[in-house]
Amino acid sequence: MNKLWKEFSKGLWKDLPPFKLVLGLCPVLAVTSTAENGFGMGMAVIFVLTLSNLLVSLVRNLIPAKVRIACFIVIAASLVVAVELLMQAYVYPLYQQLGIFVPLIVVNCIILGRAEAFASKNPPLPAIADGLGMGIGFTMSLTFLGGLREFFGHGQLFGHHVAWAGFEPVSFMAEAPGAFVSLGLLLCAMNYFTNLQRKRKGLAPIDGPTHDCGSCGACGSK
Amino acid sequence: MKEMIKMMVVLSVICGLSGLTLAALKNATEARIEEQVLTYVQAPSLTQVLHDYDNNPIKDRKKFARPGAEDEITLFPAMKDGKLTGLAFEIFGKGYGGNIGVMVGFDTASGNLSGIGITTMKETPGIGARIAKHGFTSQFKGLSPGRARLKAHNGDIDAIAGATISSTGTVTAVQEAAKLFDALKPEIAKTWP
Repeated sequence: MNKLWKEFSKGLWKDLPPFKLVLGLCPVLAVTSTAENGFGMGMAVIFVLTLSNLLVSLVRNLIPAKVRIACFIVIAASLVVAVELLMQAYVYPLYQQLGIFVPLIVVNCIILGRAEAFASKNPPLPAIADGLGMGIGFTMSLTFLGGLREFFGHGQLFGHHVAWAGFEPVSFMAEAPGAFVSLGLLLCAMNYFTNLQRKRKGLAPIDGPTHDCGSCGACGSK
Repeated sequence: MKEMIKMMVVLSVICGLSGLTLAALKNATEARIEEQVLTYVQAPSLTQVLHDYDNNPIKDRKKFARPGAEDEITLFPAMKDGKLTGLAFEIFGKGYGGNIGVMVGFDTASGNLSGIGITTMKETPGIGARIAKHGFTSQFKGLSPGRARLKAHNGDIDAIAGATISSTGTVTAVQEAAKLFDALKPEIAKTWP
């Protein structure tokens, strides 16, 4: 149980996908114009990531090492098409908002990254925990960034007016360049707090986001 | 050799299983998706462009072959007491950020436009996107197709300041719709007397 919690919780802060691993930035930048969009995208990613981790982990001993990437991609792609069909059938307005970024979940580095680095080496339960944790971390980050941009760009949160009277929205924040600026500032703040934390523990500060090789493993080193 | 065969078998089985699952899912959701597309994309603009009808234009829709082209176009009829009063269909014009979908409605008695509505577009928010606003689209209501041009081209339509491409795209789509409407008239008369 303890191990499962550890796998689950690492995605929530220690290896928070967009801000600590800095993975999957394409949807992070593209769909976070409102909190609702970020949340919807995050939900789709949770679904795909958890199921792809489960499936990859189930077939991990059957797949020959040489074609593993192709197998992972087929699994991820099928799940993404399934999500796309279900979204079209049941939450069409959200599908219209997210548009091309739903099919692009296939090439989201988080999906393949988790399949390769974690699910293909672990039994199903930890793999599900890892997928859920990472997915929820991703959703939180996207919703937070979306909320930030929606607030400054439109003075709204989840479509409701929350700004005080006389608030002048900075529409720049809701458009593409605003995504880069707000992501940059957020990363900057994250790093500042990470270093503050380390300083309190008496550790040397680090530059840039931290992650150990366990979260990537692409180069094969341990 | 044995490894190679295993690779091929595993990959083929995985692909085959995905294909089967997705085909089943597509079958299961197809009807619902079509309904959703009609409700969310076309229905809102249909009520804008068709007036005075007592049927359900979405339920009575019918596909027609497009003259001079391979594809088909879906026509939404507006009928009152069983007689055709208006007709609407969606047509696409070139905008600043991709295609603009325009639902164009015609009054069948006079041949005039009964209104237009924007179904899909990706124009710049706050500038080109204003073509979807009432102030722009309402200008088309009741115009004869020949007058539905920009003022710069001797028409009656005020273009949106700063959004010439989006305005022109919409007007071009309407012009094309008028041409198509003329070409389809005999067929329409046969289908809905």
